Amino acid sequence: MAMHPCTRVMLGLSCLLVALWLVAPTLVVVPMSFNGNKSLAFPPVGFSWQWYENFVSNPEWSTSFFNSLKVALIVAVLATVLGTLAAFGLDRMKARTAGLLRMLLLTPMVVPGVVLAIGIYAVYLDTQLVGTLTGFVLAHTILALPFVLIAVQASLEVFDKRLETAAASLGAGRLATFRTVTLPLIAPGILSGLLFAFATSFDEIIVSLFITNPYLKTLPVQIFSSITRDADPTVAAVGTILLCATTILIGGGLFLMGRERRGNL
Amino acid sequence: MSTSDTRSDSGAASRARRNWGPLALALPALLLLVGVIGYPLFTVVLRSLSQPEWGLQNYIWFFGTPVNLVVLQRTFTISAWVTLVCVVAAYPYAYAMTAVGPKARLLLTLCVLIPFWVSGVVRTLAWVILLQDSGVINSTLRALDLGRLRLIRTQTGVVIGMAQVLLPFMILPLYSVMKGIDLRLVQASRSLGASPLRAFFTVYLPLSLPGVYAGAIIVFILALGFYITPALLGGPRSTMLSTLVQNQVLSLLQWGRGGAMGVVLLLATFILLALAGPLMRQKHKQGARS
Amino acid sequence: MKTHLTLAAAGVALVLGALPAMAQEKPVAGEVKEGSLKGKTLTFVSYGGIYQDGQIAALKEFVDKSGVKLLSDGPTETAKIQAQVESGNVSWDVVDTSDFPPYVYCGKLFQKLDMSKIDTSKIPAGQVGECSVPAMNYGVVLMYNNETYKDNPPKSWADFFDTEKFPGTRAIEGSGDVSGGLLEQAFRLNGGDPKAMKPEDIDGAIQKVRDIGSDTIFWKTGAESQQLAESGEADMIMMWTGRAMAAVKNGAKYTPVWQDWLVVMDQLTIPVGVKDTDAAYALINAYLGKSAQEILTEKTSYTPINNEAQPKVEPAVAAFLTNTPERQKQGYQQNIKFWVDNYEAVNEKWSAVLAGN
Repeated sequence: MAMHPCTRVMLGLSCLLVALWLVAPTLVVVPMSFNGNKSLAFPPVGFSWQWYENFVSNPEWSTSFFNSLKVALIVAVLATVLGTLAAFGLDRMKARTAGLLRMLLLTPMVVPGVVLAIGIYAVYLDTQLVGTLTGFVLAHTILALPFVLIAVQASLEVFDKRLETAAASLGAGRLATFRTVTLPLIAPGILSGLLFAFATSFDEIIVSLFITNPYLKTLPVQIFSSITRDADPTVAAVGTILLCATTILIGGGLFLMGRERRGNL
Repeated sequence: MSTSDTRSDSGAASRARRNWGPLALALPALLLLVGVIGYPLFTVVLRSLSQPEWGLQNYIWFFGTPVNLVVLQRTFTISAWVTLVCVVAAYPYAYAMTAVGPKARLLLTLCVLIPFWVSGVVRTLAWVILLQDSGVINSTLRALDLGRLRLIRTQTGVVIGMAQVLLPFMILPLYSVMKGIDLRLVQASRSLGASPLRAFFTVYLPLSLPGVYAGAIIVFILALGFYITPALLGGPRSTMLSTLVQNQVLSLLQWGRGGAMGVVLLLATFILLALAGPLMRQKHKQGARS
Repeated sequence: MKTHLTLAAAGVALVLGALPAMAQEKPVAGEVKEGSLKGKTLTFVSYGGIYQDGQIAALKEFVDKSGVKLLSDGPTETAKIQAQVESGNVSWDVVDTSDFPPYVYCGKLFQKLDMSKIDTSKIPAGQVGECSVPAMNYGVVLMYNNETYKDNPPKSWADFFDTEKFPGTRAIEGSGDVSGGLLEQAFRLNGGDPKAMKPEDIDGAIQKVRDIGSDTIFWKTGAESQQLAESGEADMIMMWTGRAMAAVKNGAKYTPVWQDWLVVMDQLTIPVGVKDTDAAYALINAYLGKSAQEILTEKTSYTPINNEAQPKVEPAVAAFLTNTPERQKQGYQQNIKFWVDNYEAVNEKWSAVLAGN
């Protein structure tokens, strides 16, 4: 569509503003993480690596980081398995039942976090699950499940089922068909579900704040309590590390995807 | 998040003979859903009706206390502002994503995705650093001798922070709808003599509305339940319902009252979803047809 | 040879016999047996920031010597303790609380303390409760912004409430528990006598706080109050003396008003149902020691609760000590009994203020 140059400039400008608004604010943690003072007031004073050192050497920070990693890895696997199974199940059901069950399985996305959190907290208090690995994994898995379901269902939808039939008619068993035909074709969907599940768990804060205790704290909980109890630039250092890791992962992913697509063409 | 119900019925019907297999596949997920979502939510409802004693006392208290109603109203107002800001900001951005070349699109997508993936707590921390009185914005204003803006602990600050966190949820559905709009329709209306503005309002805008609806509903619902951002950026005069629920349960141990507030929030969410569902589906079909 | 054996046997018997006797001996504040808590974990809960940092530093000797693994958590919330106690899953072993809760919930949430397991002999008189020992003494002080009030600074809490003569923002403690001292000051404005305060006077006092109006900021944590001072964001701040000290040290241009500074103390408690009560007692006993209290004061400016403690403080810290004779004269004692008796009613009203409106 041909655009008036004026419109084009306006559009470009508003885009730039929105892009800045999306990305720039977060970048402010980078200079703060090198602050020489123990303060979060802007502008930072001096330069030091001490907050990075603190993140590595202070057991509160490092333990919470590894806790988050552990929980998120288990959740990613568990949610992906359960979510993929459910997606296959739904795919083979009557549309009406599938629609209903899908809606149910997606509810964790829309239930207000705090309401869910007090409910889970109440149940966990009764069942001694507060501050346990099992407790965290169960809660995070159900929150991550919708993302896996959506991702896998999306790839099942575009998947041509005649390929399965063809494989079967060529004599492949059901398992062999699944392994050699179905799985490779929907693998991108499963993989993106896995990543989403990992990120959901790694980033989960509201339910975690309620079910945490001194024996098990995850990184977001540690960050939150640090912000509220202390003006400690270590949070900025953690933020910077997470920001770099994310950018590299997404950038790399998009780059690979772009290359693959071009290769296929 | 697509809401496609366009599954082919014939395929499913042919497999309907093995009725229990599919259910067995979905069963583990459903069991977890019942145990970790269903039962806890049931507990919340139950406690709202039974603590400290059976009855509707907690609901009567909720709707009979002015503070609660103020906060309830504020929760909706803030969510509405956030939604509005998101629509206004996302619309041109999503359009640009459809109009530019692949390289620029990659860049624009990256800008949407990075904050989407960066820890929400860290992003809120960034807003604290930006908006506080000794923050980036006010330090700059002071350097330019322009006085200061009260941003942190205000509703404005909360809206700015929340809208940024929720913007990707607006841009992505909008983009996916706009991507599918056939631009030849716009060209046709132009060639029939419509001005660019008229072509936009009569052809393009209606076609993009399903995306606006989908995004707006998601943003509004997520905003209603926001907790972290108002907790860190807001003050007492920008308290939202979630904070009140947390306060009742964790600080006052009023499980009944906190539960009643939670149920109100939950009901508001579900009613909105129910109202929006048909609207979205209908528009979706229209969009698909044209 | 035989005699040697007999002697040795007698010696062993003596040592063995003495062991139980030694265990029953009165504990000495600050002392803990080498390796006595090896393999055990204790969680110490407090309010964060320089205070908790100071407490952990004060407990370092205890940790090193006893071999215990010390976790720290917080901030303290009474409701969290209640939730843990009711569910029988108590993960907080020693909790630092504000003034009132140990009196309000004694025996319910907090254990009645067995004073034979801790050495309370060095604690200043009148501070040991049935369920608590003091954690330190400190003050809540009015800090004003030097730049705002230049030549005409506020001099009392009355000025804090006077927004006409002293326009500007006020930051008030909103961490949860009500400050009885502040409400008594508000009550005095109406000409009331705090010593004769009645439950029906509470509303009037709270109204005074509401009357400050839209210029009120409620800070939720000590960290936030410090941030407010360091950024110059509020014109008058009601602040814990330790946080005030830390803010001034970081460059905040604020001055304390010492007239009627509010005398307060934190309490150490053991929740009902902790897994290892004796270990919790051992921690408290070590905390009360002379050198631990010296370290605490040197790091925080809070007053030690061991009479023998001789902290060596730097000038920045000394400026905020509240145990000097001069400060002791200026301090204002709140009516603890009244606030304990009306704890729940007051807190409900106060939370309504904090919830905004």
